[in-house]
Formats: sequence, C-alpha cells, structure tokens
Amino acid sequence: MGLQANEYSYPWLEEGEVPPLPLDRDRIHIISQGVADPVFDYDIVPLTYTESRWMAFVIRADINNMKGVTPEPIEITDDVIEFWYVIHRNTMLGPYMEFGVTFSAQVDDGSGKIYRAGYYPYMYLSNDSPIFAGKEPFGFPKKAAYIAAFEHGTNNNYFNMLMERRGYILHTANGRYSDKPLSTRPKFYGNTEYGRMNYRITTHPDVTRSTHEVTYLPSELAPGQGHRFQLNPESIRTATGDDVRSWYMSGTPFDFMGGQIPATEIVGLISFTFNLIIPGAETIWTRVVERGPDDFGPLLYATPFKYTMRHRFLLPQYSQG
Amino acid sequence: MPSHLNVPTKYWELTKEVPPPPIERDINTWIIANPSDPLWDIDVIPLTYTDSRWSAFVLKVDEPTRQRLVPNPPLTVWDGEDADLVEYWYVEHVNTMLGPYLEFGVTVSATYKDPKGNVYNAGYYPYMYLTGDAPVDAGRVLGFPKKMSYIRITTHGGEKGTDFFGFAMSRNGYLLHSATGQFDDKPVKPPYFYGKTDWGKFNMKVVTRPDLSSSEWQLTHIASELPEAFNIKGHRFQIKPEHTRTASSDAINWFQQATPFDNMGAEVKIQEITGLISFVFDLVIPVPSVLWTETYERPASYRGYATPYKYGLRQQFPISQGS
Repeated sequence: MGLQANEYSYPWLEEGEVPPLPLDRDRIHIISQGVADPVFDYDIVPLTYTESRWMAFVIRADINNMKGVTPEPIEITDDVIEFWYVIHRNTMLGPYMEFGVTFSAQVDDGSGKIYRAGYYPYMYLSNDSPIFAGKEPFGFPKKAAYIAAFEHGTNNNYFNMLMERRGYILHTANGRYSDKPLSTRPKFYGNTEYGRMNYRITTHPDVTRSTHEVTYLPSELAPGQGHRFQLNPESIRTATGDDVRSWYMSGTPFDFMGGQIPATEIVGLISFTFNLIIPGAETIWTRVVERGPDDFGPLLYATPFKYTMRHRFLLPQYSQG
Repeated sequence: MPSHLNVPTKYWELTKEVPPPPIERDINTWIIANPSDPLWDIDVIPLTYTDSRWSAFVLKVDEPTRQRLVPNPPLTVWDGEDADLVEYWYVEHVNTMLGPYLEFGVTVSATYKDPKGNVYNAGYYPYMYLTGDAPVDAGRVLGFPKKMSYIRITTHGGEKGTDFFGFAMSRNGYLLHSATGQFDDKPVKPPYFYGKTDWGKFNMKVVTRPDLSSSEWQLTHIASELPEAFNIKGHRFQIKPEHTRTASSDAINWFQQATPFDNMGAEVKIQEITGLISFVFDLVIPVPSVLWTETYERPASYRGYATPYKYGLRQQFPISQGS
C-alpha cells in the first residue's frame, strides 16, 4: 500500500506528433475550453477528412412535420430527407462514427439574398471532440450516441446500421445493395448552390441572453474551386426501399427525432467514399433573445426533479472512453 | 416484403415527465440548439443533486505549477493558508436532472480582484471529465472545462462494506489516472476552501465565433450561497457528515500519466498525496455571474492555419467500439 507514481513526460511534443501545450501558446491559439487542455484544439482548423464512408438513406416525411421542427428563418423546400451514417476513418479529430439528418432548406437573410443549403435538425456522434468542435463554434446540433454502421460480406454487399442512446434504440436498418437507381434523391446532391446550414444558440453564462445564429458553410471553399465534398464515383453503391430488409425508428424520452419526423417512405440507400474539408462558417442571420426578471422564474428556479423521466434511469455501464 | 416500422412516440404528449421540445415553446426558453431536440434543456436550471458521493484526493502542488494552471490575467493563485493543497476529485452523481453520471475534476485555489477592488476567492477548475454528454455540455455553457471520458468508481468490501476503493479514468484508450487503497479513517487536512461560504467556484469559458475570427474568454463565478429565491440557507454544497470516510497517504496506491490527448498528467506536478476524503452531499448549481471578459482577435489567414494531419498522434487511433 502507498505505492505512488506520476509519469510527467510528454515525449510526443519533441517529435512534433502533438501541438504545443496550450499553456505555452499565445491566447489566440486557444479556440475552446478548458484553456489548459481544450476538448478540441486549433490543429483542426480547417478540418480535413479523407476516405470517409457515407451511407445515406433517402426517405420522405410529412413536410408539415419537418416544418414543425425547423426554426425561423429557415424554410423547408422539399420532403425528401437525407438520413445518413458516416464512418470517419482519417480526421484530425480521430476516427469516429456519425449520424445526421439533412433537410433541403433556404434562408432569406433579410436583404433579399437567398441562401440554399442542407439544414441539420439532428446529429449524433460517437466521440466528444468532434461533438464539441461541431457544436460550439459552428452550431451543429450534435449529441453522443452508440453508433454502428458497416458494410460486410462478399463484395461488401450487406449493410447494417444501429444507433442507441440511454438504452433506447433511435434507429436501425439493414439490407443488401442491389445497385439499382433510386426514384429520387435530395435536391442538394452534387449541387454547388447548396451549402450547409446550422442553427446555433449561444447562451451567456448568467442566462440573461441567448444569441441565435444561422451559420452557413458554402459548398465551394472559393468560387470555382468545386465542391469541398469530393465524392469518389467508383465507390458508389445503392439499394432501393425494397432492398432495405428492415427499418425501425422510434421516439424516446431523451431523443425526439423518431417522434417528430417518422418516415412515410424509405426510398433507398446511397453509399460512397469521399474526402471533405470543413472551414470556418459564415453567420447569415442573428437574433438576440434577452431575458428579464419575469423570465427567470421558470428558468432559474425550476422545480427539481419535475421531469422525472429525464433523470431516473440506470447508470450506463460504458462511456465515451 | 421488408419490414419498415416507425414508432412516432412523442413522450412529452404521453406524460408530463418530459418537457416539450423548445420549438413548441416560447423562444425565451430556448437555451441551446437544436430547438427540435436539444442535448439538454430548461429542466436542468438550476441543477439539483441529491446523495452524490464526493471522493477527493488532497495533493500538495508547488506554486509554479499552480501559477501555470491558473490563467493570469485575470486570476492569481491563492497565497493564503494551505494554498498548496489541490483537490483531485471523483464524484458519483446518483440523482440529478441530467441523469446519473460519473465525474472527475481538479480544483486549485485562486483569486480575482475586479477593477473596483472587490476580491473573489474560489476554487478554479483547470480539468474536468464526465461520462455523459448532456452534463458535459450543460457545464460547458456555464464555463466548466468538461471533456468526456471513461470513469470507474468502486467502494466495497471490509467490515463496513465500503472499506476498499478503486478509481480509474481513461480517454481514447489511454489511462489518465488510477488510485486504489483502503479507507483507514485517519485525519486528512482538506483544502482551505472546504465549508467556507465566502469561497465560490471559477471557470474560464471560451466562446469562438463561427468564422473563428475571435474568441471571447469569460471568467465565470458561482457563489457558495444561493440567491434568496432558493430558500436555502448556508452553503449550496450540503455535506452529510455521517457518511464521511478518509484514507491517509500510506493507504493510497496511485498512478497518473499524460497522454497524447490529455496533458493533465504532465501539467499537474504533485509533491505529495496527502490523503483521500470521501463524503455524501446534496448540491444546487445555479447560473454563474461573469466577472471578466477579454476578446482575442485572429487574422483572416487563421482559417487556413492547420496543416492537415501534421499532428499524427491526434488522429491515428482505432475506432472505439463503445460510445
């Protein structure tokens, strides 16, 4: 008893395998907290992905349901949804699994300029650094979940996806690729007029105000440079709705997606390998919501444990580690 | 024919035990994105904990190390009694409005003097790790430096059934810290701020613009005593002393290391592990005040600063099979 050791060495610094320690840097080189050891760091700007595998179900939902979960000023322009899983193998945030939902949308910035983009109402990832790198500066609506997504069998003909959070299955689907064409696909596919949009809310620590912003990532890094999402056409596989052997999606007490946008049609699946760069985002719309004393009653002095389904559940036997 | 099933259950329509999504409420109640389904919501403010268990290793850490960890400006290290005592704490949160989770943090005594001469003393957190995404994000909005990690806390065995302990924390497959041992209930001197209602908690929040053109640093402060509306007197951290256990240094086995992803083991240089104090408590976390801000601007060229894949150890590791 009483055996104690601390290994203080940090050999990777001398070999240039990790960036300088944050406490040795100028403060402009800190982009997130903790300032001693950020959850994501400056070596990810801009974020570069290589050989990621995208597996996107194309589904339809009731467009009124889609509008019902979309805040102003974002307008929904189509009922075809991209419902996608990704395996990110090579990124500066480490490999991770990802899931997201993309609506075709547009925003009038108030001056009459129309921004067209895919808008993300829901996203889930398997690791903390990419969650907060997406969420904090850019507004991606990321949560953590258990995600499995893979292709296997002869010629990788079979696919399977599963996503769970807090013991509830949010979604699962599996089937076999037939490589038949899909009857439709999202408006934004391959269209450089469509960027990506997020709705960011930054709340001041004392909760007296929240800044709402629509952030926008154009498709092209610079005009004429082509799409920053570079698809490898030889890697494309497809499956129709009938090839999707099973599909299950459900709302849960912690995650509302399945309750809010149940699929009315599973059109099919499009999978491909791609490279991607995510630069800093533009802010195309801002609204500041101020809170006064009258608002603080229900906000700051909530009844503890009122929403009991939000806290009474088993301690998970695993974590992000 | 394939089986395609959608179960469009809206739990907030089935039961009052789940709040409706922000998009169906007044915009004044939207705290974080996304308004269709936020990671956490208004039901956690203020955050209430019941019967959590705090297990704090008390360490002696020299002044140069503490000065490096405490961001100056605006903070300075506390230079009063027992200034060298730093807390390495693990917590089991059993009942909270963010769901049960495990937590780890480091607390260093620090001081802030505002331009009017008002002096604030508080514990400052340079490092924190948790097992759940919602409490990580809810804390980060208030300024806590939280990351996610794998944490284990075990107390078991012996005459009292809680005589032996094991703590472990890892992230991205690397062990950050582990300690094992046996409670011997010998006296352990706590850090100076224990039980003092004039000592709060400090955090340094960083808010970066979407285009990365600037970052604002915000020093946040949570006072020890709650506003009158809470109707709770004394410290908002209420210890239940009958559950307190202690272990002296000789009863503790300890290992810590830095990893390519987490530098705590390199930055926190420990002179002595003086003991372990473990107790059960209730806690309320209200919203903090912001005592100091400073904005750091970046040139337009910053957007292209990184050389992709320059830092190989930051991205080359196997995909975790858990979540």
